[in-house]
Amino acid sequence: MVLLPRLYLALIVLGASIPCRAGLSEYFNEKLTLTPLRDGKVASTFSFSTLLKGGSPRDPSQLGEDDESQHYTLFPLGLGQILREYGVAELHLSLNAGKWNYDRWGYPLEPGVGTGAELWAWLGDGGVRSVDDRWKGLRSALAGLFCSSLSRLDEHRTTSPAETFKPEGSLPETSHHQLRHASLPSENVCTENLTPFLKLLPCKGLSGIATLLNPHKLFDANWHGLGVHVLWHKDEGVEVRLTFQGIFDPLRSAYVRKQDWSFESLFARKIEKACPVANSSEILVTLPQTGEYSISPEPTSIRNSMAVYDTKLVQKPLNLAMSWPHDFDHLAASSTREPLTSLSLQRTLRESSQLDGHLTVSLTNHKDTSTDVLYLETMPWIVQFYLHTLVATVEGRVKVDAVSNISYIPAIPHSRPTTFQAVLSIPPNSTLQLTMDVSKAFLRYTEHPPDAQRGWDLPPAIIMPLDDKLNSPRLYTPNILVDLATPDFSMPYNVIIFTCTVISFIFGSIFNLMTRKFVIVQMDPKESK
Amino acid sequence: MTLTAFNVVVPAILATKLAFSFSKLSDVVKYDHQLSSPLTSFSQLQEGLYLFDHSIDPYAGGTFRHSPLLLALFSTVLPSSRTFAPFVWVLFDAIGAWALVNIWRARQNVASSARDGVIATLYLANPYLLLPSLALSTSTIENALILLSIMFSCQRKSSAALLALAFGSQLSPLAAFTLPPLLLLLITDPHSHLASPKPLSVSIRKTLPYLAEFFAYFAVLTFCATLVTGDWKWVSQTWGTWLTLLDTTPNPGLWWYFFTEMFDHFRPFFLMAFTVHLATYVVPLCIKFQYDPLFALFLLLGLLGTFKAYPTLSDPGLFLSMLSVFPEIFPYLRHHTVTAILHLHAALLLPLFNHLWLVQGTGNANFFYASTLVFACANGAAVMDCLYAGMRIAIGANSEADGHFVVQE
Repeated sequence: MVLLPRLYLALIVLGASIPCRAGLSEYFNEKLTLTPLRDGKVASTFSFSTLLKGGSPRDPSQLGEDDESQHYTLFPLGLGQILREYGVAELHLSLNAGKWNYDRWGYPLEPGVGTGAELWAWLGDGGVRSVDDRWKGLRSALAGLFCSSLSRLDEHRTTSPAETFKPEGSLPETSHHQLRHASLPSENVCTENLTPFLKLLPCKGLSGIATLLNPHKLFDANWHGLGVHVLWHKDEGVEVRLTFQGIFDPLRSAYVRKQDWSFESLFARKIEKACPVANSSEILVTLPQTGEYSISPEPTSIRNSMAVYDTKLVQKPLNLAMSWPHDFDHLAASSTREPLTSLSLQRTLRESSQLDGHLTVSLTNHKDTSTDVLYLETMPWIVQFYLHTLVATVEGRVKVDAVSNISYIPAIPHSRPTTFQAVLSIPPNSTLQLTMDVSKAFLRYTEHPPDAQRGWDLPPAIIMPLDDKLNSPRLYTPNILVDLATPDFSMPYNVIIFTCTVISFIFGSIFNLMTRKFVIVQMDPKESK
Repeated sequence: MTLTAFNVVVPAILATKLAFSFSKLSDVVKYDHQLSSPLTSFSQLQEGLYLFDHSIDPYAGGTFRHSPLLLALFSTVLPSSRTFAPFVWVLFDAIGAWALVNIWRARQNVASSARDGVIATLYLANPYLLLPSLALSTSTIENALILLSIMFSCQRKSSAALLALAFGSQLSPLAAFTLPPLLLLLITDPHSHLASPKPLSVSIRKTLPYLAEFFAYFAVLTFCATLVTGDWKWVSQTWGTWLTLLDTTPNPGLWWYFFTEMFDHFRPFFLMAFTVHLATYVVPLCIKFQYDPLFALFLLLGLLGTFKAYPTLSDPGLFLSMLSVFPEIFPYLRHHTVTAILHLHAALLLPLFNHLWLVQGTGNANFFYASTLVFACANGAAVMDCLYAGMRIAIGANSEADGHFVVQE
């Protein structure tokens, strides 16, 4: 009898704990990678990863029902609610500014470096809400969360190139999954996007590596971009990785002669204290292979020619600094050197008029073996391809077999964009040039943006080498600007009036002639005087 | 002498045209929207053929708007490369000129006449028809089919006439508006009765078998087109475009700028109004000119060329070239000089302002729009003048003497 109340108590506790997901543990890891580049710049990549151990994406077939309640300690609740609301299995968002220079900076640690906003997500099929409906909701929710114009990534921009954007984590096997991808090259990244980004971190920007995320310095960098990645690892759980990449230039000022840098010079901040909830907090610095340099303070350890600092162990405040005894040799850096990537990309749109243009994509293979790449264009309908004019040339000679496996979803005016995908084979040490005529659309006056004369940014083409490793990096070409013909925005009324007048004049005259009889009348010349 | 003129001048014009097709000029006019609209452009046709050959449905997207019949013909019988296609276009020009000459002969009721060469030349050398043909616009094929159907109905070959018109209506559904006067032409005769108007003497019911025959041909061709593509998506992509005007590419007509500048919530209403407006002319013209349906057909082609949704220069060009078949109205034209000057004005301004707006970037869209208004006025003036002259003829030439005047009550 005495046992009974205890049993009740145990049942109550057990019953309460099931919907609370109290059993899920969360891990937070942060990492900063700094790499001095050979042109004197410093590449920095912040990566903040939160793992919800044992978590899994919401089954889309249960979207109509009440969701289990969400209690997180480290995992960002704002993002978690969005993920569960729309049943997202995998999500990648990047907001970048600038052109990533592959030749001089190499492959980025985070591959999504296309200019502007890019969002892609894998969503499970089935259930009450369609994939497109949830994609629309997801865009709007993320737009609200990150204070960004992501809701403009509408059906005019949305494509589904599943071969290029393969899931980086695993997808639940319970349902069929679909990809939605959209990019908005004219979108910019700014402080207003960083503030909500910092709020998703467990230590915000107050301690740990995130202290260094100083908007005044970050958005001053030559190239900068933030990314949000949500993955599901089958045996581990849901991982949210927030990243920030920047290319900083210590040599920007004309008075600076050395490529020295420190936290103080790059970010105008130091790490005062470590983030207490972080499982690991590492700073990695790629050490140059040649030349003299010094680095302070002394690294915790050296791993694969990288200096490793554990922010929990090193003395604080931490102001990591690298210095060189000699002035930076601009001449040696600017003289031609081997590109850091095996592929060089170039894409241009030549246009002589606002009617049509000429799209050229040049791919240079620096390797001694021929390479196959997947070439993807997701072009808004305002630029339409003439595929029959597609010509591939290698060093000036037409090469018919260079383009294969073409898959093409033509654009629909005023809605769907074009998706063009092809496998290109580039011979060793040579340049493949792909040219195609394009026609430009004429938009209604309400479809033009307020700054219509500026032109339209076209999303980057994406190149993916096929013969490399399984997860080969995606390469983004710089985006291009297209100049569309504009009507006069000031005179819709005048046009309606003029056209209607001409039509009614001709219509009236014709029916006037046809409905009245011809008669001969006599007019007396004397009477008329 | 005249027969040699016909035999020498016409081949000479055709040969010159062919020579021009292989010159740089054809590259210059390739993408010109005044010569070929998105619905008649050869580049779009080639694109559709490319997609069709690579087993991608050309109608899945939104830019290919040619009939599946053209797709079938050009992927099998007719050559589609830029080298051989000009031969096809010159052939269709020759067919058009031959048909026009035969229409003239049928109207005059003679086997051949001294004016044959002039009429063929007026068709082949008309710049409004010549330039679209150099740009390989499929409107050349449409014009040839319309002329063929008129020629066959003048010659009382009803099946051939209706088949040609059914084919023409497949390519451009507005050609079906010419069916009522064509049916009248089949039950009457093509000779000029403008000077002696009289009510229709034969029963209108005689047209019913022809009407049924036309719809039978049309249905069979529609079915063939569906067989080519495998589904019905092509209908909205080709014919639907005439009603929805999704493509507002500039052309010499009145629709494109109107619907570029139109407020979105008024668009369906004005699309309806403009389409209905086109249809309003058919029946009144047939009633008024029931004694001379060929003339009604001629006026209707002029009105379609002025007011249709995607006109190119070749649509008014067909009307102007057909004018040569009706020399009896020439003495009664009231303002032919004004009309000619308006046409000259528009013909100079259209390419100039198009270039200034889209290539040079020094003028804006309103300049080109203004010249399309002038062009519409020129075409409207020509149609109105022909209409007036066609009715005025009945009063006679000598009725305006001794203080007598001809007026409309």
